[in-house]
Amino acid sequence: MTTRQATLRLWDPTWEQRRKLTGFLFVLPAVVFVVVFFIVPLALTFFMSLHDWPLFGDHHFTGFSNYTDLRDDRQFIKSLNFTFRYTLLITPPIFILGFILASLVRHNIRFIGIFRTIFFMPVVIGLGVSSLLWVWLLDDRVGIFNKILLDLNLIDRAQLFLGRPNTAMNVIVLSVMWKTVGFTMILLLAGLQAIPDELYESAEVDGAGYFRKLYYITLPLMRRTIALALILSVIGSVLAFDQFYIMTRGGPRNSTISIVYWIFNNSFTYFKMGYGSAMSIVLLVILVALTGAQLYVLREKSG
Amino acid sequence: MISRKLVLPVLALILVLGSLPLTAQDEQINMTMWIRSTSFVAQSLVDEWNANNDSQIELTVIPPAEFVTKMGAAIAAGEPPDIASIDLIYTPAFASAGQLTDITEQVQALPFADDLTPAHMELGTYEGRNYAVPFGADVSFIIYNVGLFEQAGLDADNPPTTWDEMLEAMRAVDALGDDIYGYWYSMGCAGCNAFTFLPFIWASGGDVLSDDYSEATITTDPVVREALEFYNTIWEEGLVPEGASIDNGSNFFGAFAGGNIGMAGLGNFALSRLQNDYPDLRYGVFHIPGKDGGTASFTGGDVIGIPSGTEHVEEAWRFIAWAMSEEPQLEIYAANGHIPVRLALVDNEYFESDPRLVTAASSPSVGQTPYTVVYNDLFNDANGPWLEMLQVGILDGDIDGALELGQERFTQIMGG
Repeated sequence: MTTRQATLRLWDPTWEQRRKLTGFLFVLPAVVFVVVFFIVPLALTFFMSLHDWPLFGDHHFTGFSNYTDLRDDRQFIKSLNFTFRYTLLITPPIFILGFILASLVRHNIRFIGIFRTIFFMPVVIGLGVSSLLWVWLLDDRVGIFNKILLDLNLIDRAQLFLGRPNTAMNVIVLSVMWKTVGFTMILLLAGLQAIPDELYESAEVDGAGYFRKLYYITLPLMRRTIALALILSVIGSVLAFDQFYIMTRGGPRNSTISIVYWIFNNSFTYFKMGYGSAMSIVLLVILVALTGAQLYVLREKSG
Repeated sequence: MISRKLVLPVLALILVLGSLPLTAQDEQINMTMWIRSTSFVAQSLVDEWNANNDSQIELTVIPPAEFVTKMGAAIAAGEPPDIASIDLIYTPAFASAGQLTDITEQVQALPFADDLTPAHMELGTYEGRNYAVPFGADVSFIIYNVGLFEQAGLDADNPPTTWDEMLEAMRAVDALGDDIYGYWYSMGCAGCNAFTFLPFIWASGGDVLSDDYSEATITTDPVVREALEFYNTIWEEGLVPEGASIDNGSNFFGAFAGGNIGMAGLGNFALSRLQNDYPDLRYGVFHIPGKDGGTASFTGGDVIGIPSGTEHVEEAWRFIAWAMSEEPQLEIYAANGHIPVRLALVDNEYFESDPRLVTAASSPSVGQTPYTVVYNDLFNDANGPWLEMLQVGILDGDIDGALELGQERFTQIMGG
């Protein structure tokens, strides 16, 4: 019996081989997903970035000229600067406010679920929808902000908040803070709740005040959570697009064109797909470097 | 190895299956037609055609912002529509990339070939060959509020014919009240201002592009500076609402329809909307004037052509030629207030009763359209040089800076 079976089977795996095969089959869907939706598009993007690739007509190989052209693209440099300025401006307030909110809703007291829900609610709205909502909130004729400021006599006539570069930047930062701070709050809340209460109790016995507990217990133990919250927040800000596309259309005077906006414009307005791809690859490299740097700074210090 | 063995059977199968619907198509031709926005005229034409012909046309509306991308993708994939109604400014880009069928012989055989609206024909021609013919005209002119003109003591029967007269009329209307303004422009909308501001320059004998469209003339043509100064005066004197400075075009029509604006640059699309939705608003129409007289108009709208790669060239052309013939031009276009694409048919019984339509319909004879494959990058792009130049010059008052910026970025884009 056994010999006949053996001749019929093409492959007779040992237990160890079976275990490996089963493991492989379990990760296969994830691998396929990553290959099809990340590796292949990334490879295609890189391939396109080496070509002059218009929407119509033929594409032809141009080597790295799309990359060298970037040096002379003033708007590309301007957009990079703008995007970093935006990221620097928006990351600290989101983090600090998220931390304060997380501290406020940390303990399970009565009705706390209501507050957590309220703070988190804007996160589940799409960024496009929230941007449109803010366009109307900020409107000079029907917007609630102008109405409140006018009624309080803080301004003497309706303001076009999105019409001036500085105020446009500030109100967009405000709107995105409103939209995303709940997400940072939830992340930090999970980190806060993972810290055992005993640590705080013994610190209190030793006479530590709020800030000493914050500095010696909370922050060190939340290192990983803080790293995650900051990395996600920075990546989101560097990839910002919807809010500028919808709220200012890159204006006024092209002062709010983020880097992804500029990639979008080149690829789908000017139909320079190869050039857009090259910029995407450069942005990817920048993001990987930024994230690596953050991970390095916030790494667990052993010993 | 397996794949090689399978190639032949699979190919054979594809051929057999592929030929089945083909034999069925011999009896009836089904064509697809793409347009960029819901159009009463296009729908009526297609309905009329389908009712009277063996071949049938299916009309598909592609959102304007996606039209060019989708057409490009469809042609590249070998699945083009049989007929396409295209925003005329994109025709040079499509034709130069070989995306449209050469219809020169068919066009020349038309008895009324010389009578078709010139701007559409020019845009539909690439290197001496015809690739598209006119399908719909969107022309620009000034619409004015007759009621406000009368209140301000202006002669509503004799609207302004120069920039100074326009300014005087704006000031008079503006003085009527805090919520009443002399003029409206959407300074956050690039395309709106190509449509309504360029003609001020053209009517004064100037242009932003050289005659052969090869270079920018923004700094060399003094008229461009004068036109910017004219619009800047309107802004400085507060003759437009402040919100005009950031309007992205969503209020392009609505601002005038609100009834508190004296004049606004608009187009014939506005006439039917005013007629239907604002029957109580009394308005008149006049051509966009030059500095000291003269008139001009931007001829926008659609051309119609046959994308490369379709099998039904002959039948598609039969539909296009029929759409330009006298009966549909009068009974479908003119009878519903749309401008015929043949100049000789502009004087028709339907338009005689409404002088505003006659003025609007005579615009194509003074109409122009910039001919450039980079039109979108120059004029239509919300982040392009045209709008930035207008904003810097008109709203910031930095005319010198605006002209230099415009000239430099136009040249850069046109250089490739």
